[in-house]
This record gives sequence, C-alpha cells and structure tokens, in this order.
Amino acid sequence: MKTDNYDVVVVGSGIAGAVIAKTLTNAGKKVLLLEAGLQAGIALDPEESYKTYQGYLETFYEAGAKVPNSPYPDLKDAPSINILDIVKLQKSNTPSTVGYLVQKGPVPFASDCFRGPGGTTLHWLGTTLRMLPNDFKMKTVYNQNVDWPLTYDELKPYYEMAELEIGVSGDVEEQKYPDIPKDFFGKDYVFPMEKIPQSYLDKEIAKKTDKLKVTLNRKEYELSCISTPQGRNSTPNEDYKYGSIVWDPSKKKLALKTQPKTYNPDGSLWDPYTGQRCEGNASCVPICPVQAKYNALKTLKKATLENLEVITQAVASKINTDDHSGEVTGIEYKIYKHKGSPEYTTATATGTIYVLAASAIENAKILLASNVGNTSDQVGRNLMDHLVLLTWGLTKEKIYPYRGPGSTTNIPTFRDGAFRSEHAAWISPLDNWGWSWPTFSPGSDVTNALNEGVFGKALRNRMNDLVTRQFLLHFEVEQSPDAGNRVTIDPQYLDAIKNYRPVISYGVSEYNLKAFEASKTVSDQIFAANGIEDHTVYNPVTDADYVTYKGQGYTFRGAGHIVGTHRMGFTKDDSVVDKNQRSWEHPNLYLVGCGNMPTLGTSNPTLTMTALTFQAAENILKQLEQ
Amino acid sequence: MTIQRSEKDLFLEISVYLTGFDEAELQGTGMVNTYYQAVLSNNTQPDVAYFFEMVATILQQNEGNEDALNKAISIHLMPASAYSGMAMNIINMWYTGNWGQNVVSGQAYIQGLIWDAAEAHPPGAKQPGYGSWAIPPL
Repeated sequence: MKTDNYDVVVVGSGIAGAVIAKTLTNAGKKVLLLEAGLQAGIALDPEESYKTYQGYLETFYEAGAKVPNSPYPDLKDAPSINILDIVKLQKSNTPSTVGYLVQKGPVPFASDCFRGPGGTTLHWLGTTLRMLPNDFKMKTVYNQNVDWPLTYDELKPYYEMAELEIGVSGDVEEQKYPDIPKDFFGKDYVFPMEKIPQSYLDKEIAKKTDKLKVTLNRKEYELSCISTPQGRNSTPNEDYKYGSIVWDPSKKKLALKTQPKTYNPDGSLWDPYTGQRCEGNASCVPICPVQAKYNALKTLKKATLENLEVITQAVASKINTDDHSGEVTGIEYKIYKHKGSPEYTTATATGTIYVLAASAIENAKILLASNVGNTSDQVGRNLMDHLVLLTWGLTKEKIYPYRGPGSTTNIPTFRDGAFRSEHAAWISPLDNWGWSWPTFSPGSDVTNALNEGVFGKALRNRMNDLVTRQFLLHFEVEQSPDAGNRVTIDPQYLDAIKNYRPVISYGVSEYNLKAFEASKTVSDQIFAANGIEDHTVYNPVTDADYVTYKGQGYTFRGAGHIVGTHRMGFTKDDSVVDKNQRSWEHPNLYLVGCGNMPTLGTSNPTLTMTALTFQAAENILKQLEQ
Repeated sequence: MTIQRSEKDLFLEISVYLTGFDEAELQGTGMVNTYYQAVLSNNTQPDVAYFFEMVATILQQNEGNEDALNKAISIHLMPASAYSGMAMNIINMWYTGNWGQNVVSGQAYIQGLIWDAAEAHPPGAKQPGYGSWAIPPL
C-alpha cells in the first residue's frame, strides 16, 4: 500500500512499533513503518521467514561467543550494541569507542539490544511479570526516585492486552508478591496458557529456600519461590476467554474481545503448528529455534497488511517540525542499498501522527539529533537497566542445569517493602543455565580441566560431576533514575552513514550499591541453607562493571532492560512525554517503548512497555478520530 | 601380520582414550572425518606426522593395559609442549566443537560431547521436548 497520506508514521518494528502498527491498521488506519534493519528480516511469509530464521540459527551455531546478538546481522549502517564490546574503563581508554556505543563511564553501560526487524524480542528471555502498585509511586511511598503519572490500576486493563498479545503462560494463583492488593489480578483472571513447568533444579532449591527465614539489616523476611509468567507457549488454559484486541470507535477505547473457542498458541512465522509448545531448546537467549517464544514479528503478521507499508533499510535520522505550531512535518530517513554500503539516499516520511519506537537509546538519539521535544532537558537522561548481581556455587547433589527455559522460578520477596526507603529492591530469578553467564561454562570447565592435564574417563566424570551441580542465582536490582546517566550525541562520533553514535555516561548510585551489599547477605543465607559451596568471584582487574561499597567489591552485569531515556511525567518541565505518551511540545509526536518508563521496578520491562504501548495506540486512535 | 592403520584410524582410536567416550559414541557424532581434517588443517605437517607416530607407538606398547596407556598419554601427549598442544586441542574439539577459539562448524557445536557429559544438550539443538526439564534427565 503506497500513499502520500499516511495516518501514522512509525519508526521501528520491535514490539512497541509492531503493536502500534497492528492496532492501528486493524482499526483501518494507514501506517508507514520505517525499519533500519535488513529487508530479509521483515519477511512474514512462510518460505522467506523460514529461510531468514534458519540463517540466524546457523549463524548462532557458528558463533564463537554465543552472546545475545550473535545470531543477528550487525550492520555498519544501523549498528547494534554488542556486549562483547564492553571494556573496563580506565583513564587511558576513556571514552571507549570500541563498538557502537561511546562509553564515558565511570563504568560502562552493560546491556545490548538488536536493531532489526522484530527488535530485541528476537533475543529476549520472555519473562512477563507485571510491575507492582508501589513501583508507580516510589516518591510518595518511599521518598525515592519519582512517581509515575499513571497508577497500576490505570494500566491494569492494558496489562491484560499485553498478556494476550505476547501469549503469556503462567499460574495466576501462584503470583504472590509483597504488598499487593487482593485485586491485583482481576476476578477469575487467568493467563492464556498454563504455567511453563518449573525446572527440576527449581524444585530442588525450593525445598530449602521456600519459607526460608533470612535476616537483613536486623529484620527477618520469609522467602518464597514462585513460578514465573513468561511469553512462551505452553498448554492452553481452558478458562482463558479472550481472542483479540479491538478498537471500539463508539467508546473510543481498545477492548479485549472474548472468543468461544479455546486459546490457540501462536506458532512460528513459517508454520502455525511449529512452536506451539516450548520444546526445551534452552536457548531462548539468543534464539528460540522453533519460535515457541514470542517475538514481535508475530504481532506484525497480525497487522492488516493492506493498510501497512513497510520500508526497510531505512534509518530514521531527523524529525522536522513547524516552528510556529510545533507540529512534526516529517521524519527524514537514510536508505542504504545493501548491507555495509556507505552509500545512502535521504527521503522524508510524512503522515498525520508520528511515533518513535526505535528503542530507548535510539529514540533519545533521534530527538537529540533533531533538537526536538527537549524543553525539559530530560531527553537521554535517566538511562536505567537492572543491575544484575550474580552469585554462583555448587550444590551437593546433581540439579541438572542447562535444560529448559532460562528461568522458570523467582524469589519475589524483595520486590517491595519498607527497605526501599534505604536501598533498592530486587527480584531473584533462579537460573536454569548453570554458570554459563558468569564463567562461560561449560566450555571453560573443559579448558580448566585440560590445563590440569585431566583427560579421558576422568575428564568425562569430572564434567559430569561439576556441570550437573552448577547453580546460579540472580539479584536483579532496580536501578534508580539518575539525571547523570544519559545518552548524548557528539558530532565527532558518527556511524557509517553519518548518523550519531550514542555517547553514554553511566554510573551506579549508593542506593543501588547498598542493594548489592544486601543481596549478597541474602545470597549467603540461601547458599548456607542449601549447602551450596560458593564459587562467586568478583574480579577487580578483569570485570568491566566492578564497583565497591564499604570496602567490598561487586560485579554487576546488564540485564538488557534499557529504560528511561524519554521519561513520562507530570509537567513539561519534568519530563519528555505526558501520561498519554505524547511529546509535551509536539502534539502529533508520540514516543513509545521502555524510554517512557520513569522508573523500572523489579520486573523485566517488556510486558509493562507493551501495556503502555496499547494505551498509546488507543490515545493515537482517539486523536485521529477527534 | 600387523595391519597398517591409517592416521584417521589412529585418530579415532586415540580419541576414545583422550575423551572418555567409546568408539560408538564418537562415531555417533558423525564428526570423525571432519575432526580429522581439522587436525590436519590446524597443525603443521611435521607436528601431525610426529604426533601420529607417537600415537601408534603408545597404542601398540600399551595394548590391553588402560592404566599404562593413560600414563603414556599423560606423559607424551597431554603436555602443552607436546606437538603444539595437539592432544588438548583434539579433546577440546570433541567436547566443544571448537579448535582453540574457532568453531569448527555449526554441526561441530551441536555435536559437542560436553553436553552428553553434563546430561544436557547443546542449547538450541537436540531439544528434549516440552516439560522435560522438570524431571531429572532420562
């Protein structure tokens, strides 16, 4: 569908862009979608999508370091952040210009994302926890961080839409979080699919961890271990009643529409009967071979295609505005002909409303490059991530890791509580994949044994004894919004087609450091109760994100939860967008994605961001139909 | 009469003692030929020749005595200084599919023996099926 009169121009085909494109085209609006990645990746038909995806899978098999972006194209014309480019910052190498980000420190930003069709949902883990009511009012309740201009209750109907769109498997009854009201989930609410089975490892650890009493800062807490809701396919829940999300033009609202038949899990792009159940590939990050895990291309496939025009290899670079009205008049983009080509042509996309859905960092970059929407001086600021403190050890008995989805159980005990006045909250997922993240096990275990001269049956036995007992625990700490943690641009740092590279300043506040100290205290008690031999090492020399607090060193890692660079707020002076996710200054410009989130909470942000995006889609439809 | 064994036969035979996996398990990977070729292409011709000469000798001298064979492997093949670390590299290749830091092939990754040793499977391949992770490995 080509026209000169698009209702909406959307930048980015990740989950936020795909939700906007689907919702609006289903409601009859004409949408132009600009995607920076390669044409091949956008294919939705069976043959081409299969071919592209098998290419990703083969690239993953052949990758030396199987990091989150390893299966996917890294383009000179639209580079992705690669965690392999994170280096320890010292005076001599700061700012670090290794890779796409320019890192000014004091410590390097530790997360990546994927710029290409489907966005980072191609390599997300798939955890779909909601945020907690107090997460939305941190300033009021705990005098920390900021409040949201939205409450949990306002977002709740949109959470239900997000859970349908993503296809969440989980058990509502088991979702007991600290301090939540009885009606946290609606009456009789269930997820579309039954919970993903919890791992053998989860059940063994829970035996001595569920109901374990731990002491933290002289206060006693009783831990719990609960199943984790996630966006991967499981057995359909017979009691789930919704089938689609539709625009009701008379009420001017989006609504969940019931369907009489049982929920049918969305299979792969190439075959609806492939991927209807998680098959236990244990590679959700970086790639689910059968697409049992949700990705945004599934949403894009449900768009009304006759209302959708997609231009790929089109990198949005500048927003044009009318000086008088403040209206956006077009988005300039650069089209590169083929992968790696330094040659490009420039064009301008025009429509009635414009939506940036290019990821938190890219959205901020485009706004800064255009000098648009930044009266508040908040664009690019408050960059956040979950700061992941890992602890690892060996259990006495075999627990058989490296099987199943990355995590199927979490300890929610420290997601909320009075302690948030003093230090940050966290969630503790139990990890199903051994020590692979911190130590590159089991490959490094083979190397270590060989270096000791171990071979033959002794080697096989050593690997069996060691790898089957590897336990890894996460403490995913909520990073506070800090104005100094920010994305900026600088004309001396450009990519191959002369777009800005993000320049990142990043550090960790004392409020977060205190949470590392507290986490380790809790970890020690969990390990002791389970008889786990602690093998955790935080290396001051080699670990890029090594920090100290009260004389103790901690290494944190990035969670891939890139949040907060164009925050939503109460006034045009404190934020970039209003509660409708619309630019305060530019009435036909919406920003969507994790960049809108004023704070992070302790849940992986994709579900909340998707809920917000449905709300944004509703607001856009309202504005178009005024 | 002694049958002259080829280098490739010797490669398979010594791999059994180097890896702790029996011949059927190694053949079952489908990688014997690929890995033998990887040995040839990642090492100098003299190193390869001397290595297999030593392999032939220690297999012959210690036939039927596994303890003695293991001792000979330990002394003559396992040191990093022996044949540019070829034995260690061969074991690492069987276990991980890598020669040094380089992935031999996508199939080599999938066939890595470490996953069998760990009673798991290579992430992204040989998937054991829905819910299999909820119980100990079969």
